[in-house]
Amino acid sequence: MRISEWFESRTGLGSAIAKALDEPVPGGARWQYVFGSVLSFLFMQQVVLGILLAFYYSPSASQAWASTAYLNDQVTAGWFLRGLHHHGSSAMVVVVVLHLLQVVWAGAYRAPREVNWWTGLAMGGLVLAFALTGYLLPWDQKGFWATQVATGIMGSVPGGEPLQQVIQGGPEYGNLTITRFFALHVFVLPIALGGLLFAHIALFRKHGVTPPAKLSDAELKRTTQPFWPNQLFIDVLGMTICAAGLIWLTYQTHGAELFAPADPASNFVARPEWYFLFLYQLLKYFEGPLQIVATMLLPGAVAVTLFALPWIDRATSRRASARWPALSVIGLLMAGVTALTALAIVEDARNESYQHGLVVAEEEAHRARTLALEGVPPEGGIAVFDNDPKEKTRKLFKEHCATCHTIEGRGGEEAPSFDDYGSREWLFALLRDPRSKRFYGGTKAHTTMEPVAVKDASDEELHAVVEYMLSLSGPEVGTTDATLAATGKTLWDSKLECSGCHEVEAGKSGTGPTLAGRGTVAWIGRVIRNSAEPDIYGDTAEMPKFADKLSPAQIEALAAFIGSQREAKKTAAH
Amino acid sequence: MSHKRDLPEEDAHAMPAEDLSPEAASRRKLLKLGVGALGCGLAAVPIVPALGYLVHPLRSGPGAEGALLAVGKREAFGATPVRVDLYSDRRDAWNRESNVKLGSCWVVERDGALQALSTSCPHLGCAVDFDAAENKFKCPCHRSAFDLEGKVEAGPSPRPMDTLDLEETNGLVAIRFQRFRQGVPAKEPV
Repeated sequence: MRISEWFESRTGLGSAIAKALDEPVPGGARWQYVFGSVLSFLFMQQVVLGILLAFYYSPSASQAWASTAYLNDQVTAGWFLRGLHHHGSSAMVVVVVLHLLQVVWAGAYRAPREVNWWTGLAMGGLVLAFALTGYLLPWDQKGFWATQVATGIMGSVPGGEPLQQVIQGGPEYGNLTITRFFALHVFVLPIALGGLLFAHIALFRKHGVTPPAKLSDAELKRTTQPFWPNQLFIDVLGMTICAAGLIWLTYQTHGAELFAPADPASNFVARPEWYFLFLYQLLKYFEGPLQIVATMLLPGAVAVTLFALPWIDRATSRRASARWPALSVIGLLMAGVTALTALAIVEDARNESYQHGLVVAEEEAHRARTLALEGVPPEGGIAVFDNDPKEKTRKLFKEHCATCHTIEGRGGEEAPSFDDYGSREWLFALLRDPRSKRFYGGTKAHTTMEPVAVKDASDEELHAVVEYMLSLSGPEVGTTDATLAATGKTLWDSKLECSGCHEVEAGKSGTGPTLAGRGTVAWIGRVIRNSAEPDIYGDTAEMPKFADKLSPAQIEALAAFIGSQREAKKTAAH
Repeated sequence: MSHKRDLPEEDAHAMPAEDLSPEAASRRKLLKLGVGALGCGLAAVPIVPALGYLVHPLRSGPGAEGALLAVGKREAFGATPVRVDLYSDRRDAWNRESNVKLGSCWVVERDGALQALSTSCPHLGCAVDFDAAENKFKCPCHRSAFDLEGKVEAGPSPRPMDTLDLEETNGLVAIRFQRFRQGVPAKEPV
């Protein structure tokens, strides 16, 4: 006995497959029948790709982004498999719509196929639920913020809040949100879709294809072809075209986008995936108490209409010309969805702040993903920014300096604040009120400098003095107005009593700090090392010497960080 | 029932007599070949990249030799074995962890010199314990026993306990943590 015969006699697999393939197609194999097969193929491909992604993906609020960035940017072919899975969901939505339109056009929702129509609608809903749950899983800015909107809508409808909390696993997003979305996305939804698909195909086999209405029974019978191989060949061609399109799209876009890790403190420009844009646009027209029209009533009405389509259609013939009311309902619906989607796209294209937000988001994504190549600290996604040398310096500042000094709005008031440190405004305010908490007010020893009162120097005159002081610092702190600086020098030398304490030339030292090179990175570095140098604060120095506590590189980084505050506001204002 | 005309007639489900002409037969054969070829192509789309994807962790090869990790002062160790944990920074797939436990080892003085023995049993990797009553190292899993130098005295271990690099500088002891292949007579780093 040959092995194949032995296997067949023990399992009956061959005859089972033969039976499954043995399906007459009245009227012959046709292209318009491919959509269901293409959807089955896409679903299977999504399952395979999803399982592959699960080999690297870690569903927790602290690890999801880092593991996704790792699988996308470091694992061999990871970007390709993730890209196929991402675009595969778009492809499923497109083919679901095509399938629905074909079914409506052919009148296949009519008796006796109502239950098949309903299982199809339910599966369409599941495809959207897949998209919604999958969008959050990378835990990046886009998924996080767009999904917040979706669950927020859920919570805003009457009685929806408990449901929202159950789905989120609490009042806000966290580990429980991601484990729930993960369980739904990889277990509940695939099992539900698989079960419905089985019922859908069984019902399809029971009732057969819905051939063109114009063919007579005799004509249908005469042109009947077998499913295998005639229809299946066309189906597989359809799948191939779909797969080729997906591969092309995946290469073109270099896989799926991955934005910076979810940051609950940021203001990200959230948009849903393109196939939800019509709902997003609809929401713009209904505000306040009317919001429920866009979130529940209209979508609910559409769902009920689709469900009731077999009864809305009262025509006695299946010919399209006899069914214009039902076809118009679907036509209007599609036109509405298309128009709303187009409006959303056009409005975003013209929305400058959105476009700017996108550019910022992409830059941040690039920065985060580059830093992630060094490994993400286990605390979680946004901790990836700790890899940035700037962040390391910030931490260093927090550990060693922030007890006394403020920077970026945080820190102690025992010593001068570094917010806007070295800017014209900072110097001006210092001269007017050195004993302010912002400057030396919190120190014990720096009490000797007298404020420059308005009667001694008008605002205009003091600005000139500031310009002169900046010119002493040298070109590193920026270009200065020479004329204004010259006026300032005259005031400095004659009217004001600055030179009594402050020398202006390098190498000399007075009671107060010498002003040559003051505020430059090198000068700040010297202060950090030892502020008691005679040309800096001398005997009045209170600050600890850091020369032995920090490495030269650390001191240089801190000095550059403090020196950059002059420019910080300018950059932030952009 | 008004929709009766949509119901297929019973005999519409029956296949018409198959066209047995040689042209039709060769056309069917071509279609079947086409289905097979395209089907294999479709399956290859995720499967081929998946091969490289799944074995990606093997591409990095054996880990680079780790740094010497400080474990304590020289005086802390003597003829009675002391177990020390080894801490270091580590890359674990997507994570960069700082100061995490890599593993542990026994430190024991023999003839005036310190020796570090990995706690990982060369047999199958269980954590080897010290039995103070018998003055022996014993593996709790499969009854391997080792003397204080790490030599096998009993049980299935294929080689002595693995020694780790140990250095003493200025009274401080530092050890290089390494893992070795299990179950083989030769000591090969992994």
